[in-house]
Amino acid sequence: MASIKDLTEFVIQADIEKVKETTAALLAAGEDPLKIINEGLIPGINEVGERFKEGNLFVPEMMMSAQAMKAGVDLAKEKIEGADIPNAGTIVIGTVAGDLHDIGKNLVSMMLDSSGFNVVDLGVDVPADKFIAAVKEHKPSIVGLSALLTTTMPAMKEVIDALKESNLRDQVKVVIGGAPVSQAYADEIGADGYAPDAALAVELCKKIA
Amino acid sequence: MEYASKHGDGIAFRTLTLQQLKDIHSASCRILDEVGVIVHHDEAADLLKKGGAYIDSKGRTHIPEALIKRALHSAPSRITLYNRLGEPVIWMEKSNVHFGAGSDTLVYLDPFTGERRDWTTEEVATAIRVVDALPQLDFVMSMGLLSDVDKRMINRIQYALMLKNSVKPQVVIAEDAPTVADITEMAAAAVGGREKLKNMPHFVLYCEPTSPLQLPFESVDKLLYAAENKIPVNFACGAVEGASTPVTVAGAVAQANAEALCGLVLHQLKNPGAPFLYGFGGSPLDMRTMVACYAVPEVLLLQGCVCDLSRFYSLPSWGYAGCSSSKDFDEQAIAEATMFTVMGALQGCNLMHDVFYIESGRTGSLELLVLMDEVISRARHILKGVNTTPEYLAVDAVKRVGPGGNYLGDAHTAKHFREKWQPTLSDFSTYSSWEAAGAKSMRERIRERLRSIMQEHKPVPLAPEVEEKIDAVIKQAKDRLGI
Repeated sequence: MASIKDLTEFVIQADIEKVKETTAALLAAGEDPLKIINEGLIPGINEVGERFKEGNLFVPEMMMSAQAMKAGVDLAKEKIEGADIPNAGTIVIGTVAGDLHDIGKNLVSMMLDSSGFNVVDLGVDVPADKFIAAVKEHKPSIVGLSALLTTTMPAMKEVIDALKESNLRDQVKVVIGGAPVSQAYADEIGADGYAPDAALAVELCKKIA
Repeated sequence: MEYASKHGDGIAFRTLTLQQLKDIHSASCRILDEVGVIVHHDEAADLLKKGGAYIDSKGRTHIPEALIKRALHSAPSRITLYNRLGEPVIWMEKSNVHFGAGSDTLVYLDPFTGERRDWTTEEVATAIRVVDALPQLDFVMSMGLLSDVDKRMINRIQYALMLKNSVKPQVVIAEDAPTVADITEMAAAAVGGREKLKNMPHFVLYCEPTSPLQLPFESVDKLLYAAENKIPVNFACGAVEGASTPVTVAGAVAQANAEALCGLVLHQLKNPGAPFLYGFGGSPLDMRTMVACYAVPEVLLLQGCVCDLSRFYSLPSWGYAGCSSSKDFDEQAIAEATMFTVMGALQGCNLMHDVFYIESGRTGSLELLVLMDEVISRARHILKGVNTTPEYLAVDAVKRVGPGGNYLGDAHTAKHFREKWQPTLSDFSTYSSWEAAGAKSMRERIRERLRSIMQEHKPVPLAPEVEEKIDAVIKQAKDRLGI
């Protein structure tokens, strides 16, 4: 039978079927589900992250590995009762009101997800009150706001203002992104961070989560 | 080669075979029929439904091929654009090529100091005057995003700047239909009335879907306004291959074509026969950096598909040239921008924009713009092709000069040498005379040209009463928006 060590390799290879098979077999043999996640699946995605940083692996491959890891985690989770599933932090993310563009936001979501964050993606055209409701419900450490249009950038400030009015501002860090957005704009509206691309967005979130 | 570009005396260029064109068309029809689109606009959804589209339980609009055929039938195959003086200057049809600058860059790269900064109103006005002065550039766009005016007024003020600083036709970006209405008002004042503008268009409106397969409210609203007012308009997806469209060139073209055709269908349902400009572009995602890159080889192939498809559909074509993903006006910028310009010319793209874009559209370089003016001139010379009539085959001249002679003193040389391409920036002198003239690099010569244009070029002014009307439109818009 394949071992926990093999699971790591299957995640690196993005072989979703073998990850599922092996996880199921290990669980059936009575292996500890947390050990499967922490010693089998997560080291795989960490290695993928390292290879990506070194330039030997590309984002689509990282995404496929992340899907393989998640398939394993989902199976293992079913066997865990009460225990906390380890993650890097929760982030509520969305494209602000009036804006339908989600490619950049989705990239950030996928990459955060692949890096072990619990991502609550609210989608596009998200009004401020929906962000507030999500912060109350999910208690994230970070709120991520995206805009592609210069005309919808002011809606980012509206979310920050709404967080202040609801006395939630000091409980979360707000990070913003999108083609017309800049560090200067982040400073202007009082956001906690800005990243110019998806990879740097992940680094930013890891730093401030 | 039926849908290949055809230029002077035998020059032709083709990207796709007829079978490939049919395969792409069929794939796009399948996308519109089987996958459908989401229309965020009630009137548009209604128009499509009444026209024969099917709206499913998930709210997706499925468009049958019959609707596409009807739209292709009613849309005009050619559009003439007029300058501010009422002269026809752009003929969008077949393989005719025209070039222009780009819109809304975020960063102005100062050509003299190399400083990167936000654009001011004065810098945008100057940049538009530079485009006005350069002979190879056929139309203007807004160049830079104004950092010193209220965000809601940017598009209107950019348009006033274009009218005041150039006679050339424009391609216009506008955030919504009320902005287009104000722009139309200003254009009408400049050219002599609404009716004249409607029949002798002075600007093209740039609209886009939100890929994949979504029609946002503002875009559709502008598209319908343009149809109603016969403003030439495109519906051009900016494909981010690997993110907003499939990663392959053919997949990106199939989807972007479906989106453009969907825009065309809606546009022709609103006003059959209104002018529509077909085209789209791509900037594939670099899978290491997640940056959408301009002017890579796949994008040039994609544009080849756009141009062949436009002739297959008998629609005028829209595309790109003279742009780059480089961060500076450097060797990469010149390589990419030159390649795009020459390819676009060969492909026979009717209206190519973004000449002067670097950093994949975030930064504008006036140095690149000036250099591309000469590159376009070189490309246009190539498109003239080779004249092979007896006078040009010159057998008589060969007889006169004979073995061991010299053509320099022959009448045939004197008669035809002026037809040869002449540089405006490139230097063909000897090393010693180049050195004696200051050993100026191309970059220095470009800056000199820019400086002299900036100091000396005066665009044909607007009549004072027209300026007043334009300023009044701006003022009324400010009042309406409470600025």
